[in-house]
Amino acid sequence: MKIKNYLLPVTAFMMLLLHTSCEKVIDVDIKDDTGIVVIEGNITDVTGLQTVKISRNTSFDNTNTYPAVSGATVKLNDQAGNEYQMAESQPGTYTYGPLAAIAGSTYTLSVSVDGKTYTATSTMPGLVALDSLSSRNRPTDDQERQVLVHYKDQAGISNQYRFVLFINGAQIKSVFAADDDFTDGRAVNTILRIGSDLDVDILPGDTATVEMQCIDKPVYTYWYSLMQQQSSGAFGSATPANPPSNLNNGALGYFSAHTTQTKTIIVK
Amino acid sequence: MAKHLLLILMLFSGIKSFAQNKFTISGTIRDEATGESLIGSSIRIKELAATGTAANTYGFYSLSAPAGEYTLVVSYIGYDTREQKVSLGKSLVVNISLTAKNSLQEVVIRSNKPNNDNVASPQMGLEKLSMAQINNVPVVLGEKDIVKTITLMPGVKSSGEGNGGFYVRGGASDQNLILLDEATVYNASHLFGFFSTFNSDAIKDVSLYKGGMPAQYGGRLSSVLDIKMNEGNNKQFTVQGGIGLVASRLKVEGPIVKNKGSFMISARRTYIDAFLKLSKDSTLNGSSLYFYDINAKANYHFNDKNAIYLSGYFGKDVLGIKDQFGTNWGNSTGTLRFNHLFSNRLFSNTSLIYSNYNYTIQSFSSNDEFKAVSKITDFNLKEDLQYTLSNTHSLKFGFNLLHHNIQPGSITSSGNSSFNNVITEKRYGLESALYLSDEWKATDKLTLLYGLRLSNMALYGPGSFNTYDAAGNITSSQSYGSGAAVKSYLNLEPRFSASYATSDAASFKLSYNRNTQNIHLLTTSSSSSPTDLYVMSSNNIKPEISDQVSTGWFRNFKDNTYEFSAEVYYKWLQNQIDYKDGAQLIANQNVESQLVYGTGRAYGLELFFKKKYGRFNGWVGYTLSKTERKFDAINNGNYYPARQDRTHDVSVVGIYQLNNRWTFSGTFLYGTGNAVTYPNGKYNIGGLTTYSYSQRNGYRQPATTRIDIGATLEGKQHKRFHSSWTFGIYNLLGYDNPYSIAFRDSKTIPNTTEAVQTSIFSTQVPSVTWNFKF
Repeated sequence: MKIKNYLLPVTAFMMLLLHTSCEKVIDVDIKDDTGIVVIEGNITDVTGLQTVKISRNTSFDNTNTYPAVSGATVKLNDQAGNEYQMAESQPGTYTYGPLAAIAGSTYTLSVSVDGKTYTATSTMPGLVALDSLSSRNRPTDDQERQVLVHYKDQAGISNQYRFVLFINGAQIKSVFAADDDFTDGRAVNTILRIGSDLDVDILPGDTATVEMQCIDKPVYTYWYSLMQQQSSGAFGSATPANPPSNLNNGALGYFSAHTTQTKTIIVK
Repeated sequence: MAKHLLLILMLFSGIKSFAQNKFTISGTIRDEATGESLIGSSIRIKELAATGTAANTYGFYSLSAPAGEYTLVVSYIGYDTREQKVSLGKSLVVNISLTAKNSLQEVVIRSNKPNNDNVASPQMGLEKLSMAQINNVPVVLGEKDIVKTITLMPGVKSSGEGNGGFYVRGGASDQNLILLDEATVYNASHLFGFFSTFNSDAIKDVSLYKGGMPAQYGGRLSSVLDIKMNEGNNKQFTVQGGIGLVASRLKVEGPIVKNKGSFMISARRTYIDAFLKLSKDSTLNGSSLYFYDINAKANYHFNDKNAIYLSGYFGKDVLGIKDQFGTNWGNSTGTLRFNHLFSNRLFSNTSLIYSNYNYTIQSFSSNDEFKAVSKITDFNLKEDLQYTLSNTHSLKFGFNLLHHNIQPGSITSSGNSSFNNVITEKRYGLESALYLSDEWKATDKLTLLYGLRLSNMALYGPGSFNTYDAAGNITSSQSYGSGAAVKSYLNLEPRFSASYATSDAASFKLSYNRNTQNIHLLTTSSSSSPTDLYVMSSNNIKPEISDQVSTGWFRNFKDNTYEFSAEVYYKWLQNQIDYKDGAQLIANQNVESQLVYGTGRAYGLELFFKKKYGRFNGWVGYTLSKTERKFDAINNGNYYPARQDRTHDVSVVGIYQLNNRWTFSGTFLYGTGNAVTYPNGKYNIGGLTTYSYSQRNGYRQPATTRIDIGATLEGKQHKRFHSSWTFGIYNLLGYDNPYSIAFRDSKTIPNTTEAVQTSIFSTQVPSVTWNFKF
């Protein structure tokens, strides 16, 4: 829960009242530090192809296309001693399957690129069922809607969640992460609050799809840090930094073993 | 500890014993019309060049001289200097009243030379602001603002528009001790910092210590902002007030018993929410958004030797969106003081002080409701004694017992809410201090102010206390019973200042002081937020320590009409606090596991030129400075600029009195942009454009430039009724000064990114206020 999130709309609306604030695109002179390896490894509890994507970061001034890293050696190990060699299915995308990650098991990802090896471990959490989705009016707005996720948190265990929201098939570019520090064992209604700078309006009739992931603690810290940096936006956000990653050797990104469930509703 | 004291006392007793044939003149200096004591007014004996002193916080002074016929010269800025003959054959009580100058007269009549305290006193790093100046400096939306005005002084920087904090000589905003009638004010801003909590109607005196902290102050590293409330008119009842665009205020004051006791009550409320009511939107017009504050004070003088003062402050901010959520926060303080004169040389003040800061956040939406509460409550017993040993030695000593009770945040909810009840343990601590200082006029030219402050911080139970390793894992956990000592820290803080006068109008000064801080603000936000959380020094958090040396040259020109000073300082900071990336601070029982510790340094040059008197007055300040931090876990363990690092900072304030009715004022500001972290590249994670960072605070926001103007039109003088209009334009040139810079996917060119600057006041903001008094 981010209490601060509740305060942001108020500041925003005070500035709106004063009609004095303004936003403008500016030129900034950025010193590039590019070519850093970016690894995004996900394995899930659903039997199928498990995927690791490897790329490099690029200059802020470039387009949003990221150089794929080909020819890497990508291995996945489970705690039973099995090793799965992942193969490059298309440039920068490495897959192995069919495979399903098992709850409670710890997995190790190892990626070797240009003689440097990056490793990370992640433990697959138990499944918490995604009960349903719903929608409601957005505060201070009669037209727009918000999407809520309903689930029953597991009591006595530390649970963490990540949600991915799609509206009419397009992914909403916000990070949604939650833990159960304040909601342990409760029937939880998590509101997916979209960053105000995204200009996304969810309206009645839209199709909303939510993927719910149960994630481990380090992966939660990763997403939570990203969420903290983006959601505050203009209003005094935390000093930005690379989120704490479970990958070593300076790679960007994360490796996550998580459950996945998806539901879809029509927004009312 | 007793041993230490004895040692110190013995040191001080080496001082020449006072001559037998001297007598004491003591008394109180007051305003003729209102009976308000004049803090810091100057009194000297004309016939004895080196004999002079300044009245203390209560207007009390004490001087000694051999028997003889003398002329006392009493002066205070904005008042006519007064001379009074005395025949000294025994110790005397001489109470003196001064008459406020009609401001126009000030230009014409100035037979007596104004005082040169700024040059003569060993105190350095002190900024004193008169309320007359504060009232004339233009501010946003016309609400006179003490905090905004002090940020126009060199070495003091505003945290930015829409942010109530300030930074002194490179320190963080929680390193300022803000005192209102001796009570700590924890959150000095209303509405996220758009306004300060201090209603200037109720304020009499503002002093800001940036360095050379006298030994009677302690507990924060960077500065002391010491604010004193008005006592109230003890001659007659008066009412004054103002009606502005966003707020109105009213003050009533008058005698309780004429010449013996008075009261003052001053209140202010904003009505931004009235605009909300006009909205057609049902959610908007059911929302609330306002703040109010009340200052009240009463005093009674039993006789020349005993007086009692009771003062209080209560302020609250309320924000809410109908049926969704509500939040409120506020400070309240109360101070009960007793002045007693043991003799005409020994002045005592005993204070009992209460201070509270709390916030509540509530969510009302169905199945999501909760209530989060956090508060900090202080009780403080303070004894300050002032002993005029002789004309060359003036001692100050005393003690302080400050009890903290912190409830870091607890959450309560109903049965069908998403949220559990979360109760974090309360924390209890006692800060105690003993101090002794001596102002010694060693020679005609050399004055020393030196002292020691011994401070102790004790954290005690009940509760369970964890110790964490660098990674934030619990290494030990122990439960303590009620009142059991958990951890304590003892610190000795030497304070030393000296001034060497090269002439009546010029001096060199030097100072060194050590300060410690045992209560620390944790916030992940760079803006002022009501959810600020305070923690005390503990098993994990060590006291913050700062050592500052400074030196400067002070020069007055043209009979003290112009003041010039140049000061340089260097500060070493230890045990500074930052938090890990992804830290969760709210209602977290293990919040100390989220912290990292490091060091810092700050240094700079401050130039200040002020014209104190005349039809045209004002000042120019310039600061060249650097402030850096070093944490093992941040920026690869290298020094990096703190956010508030501002290389250049210029402020110009001008006030011009055209005639009896019109006064114009203007300010100009220029400051290097904040040190900020920009990305050095981008990548894609989870379908989102994500930015990579390397150097902490390695970039600068664009510089800030602003001009504000104001004008005051005095109404025609009626018998008792007086009115005036205040007009202002904030950001006259409509510059877009950066509030923040964010990076995002471009909204115009697909598949690219852009940097976006947000400004809060990017156009001219006019204001008008009507003021009255009768």
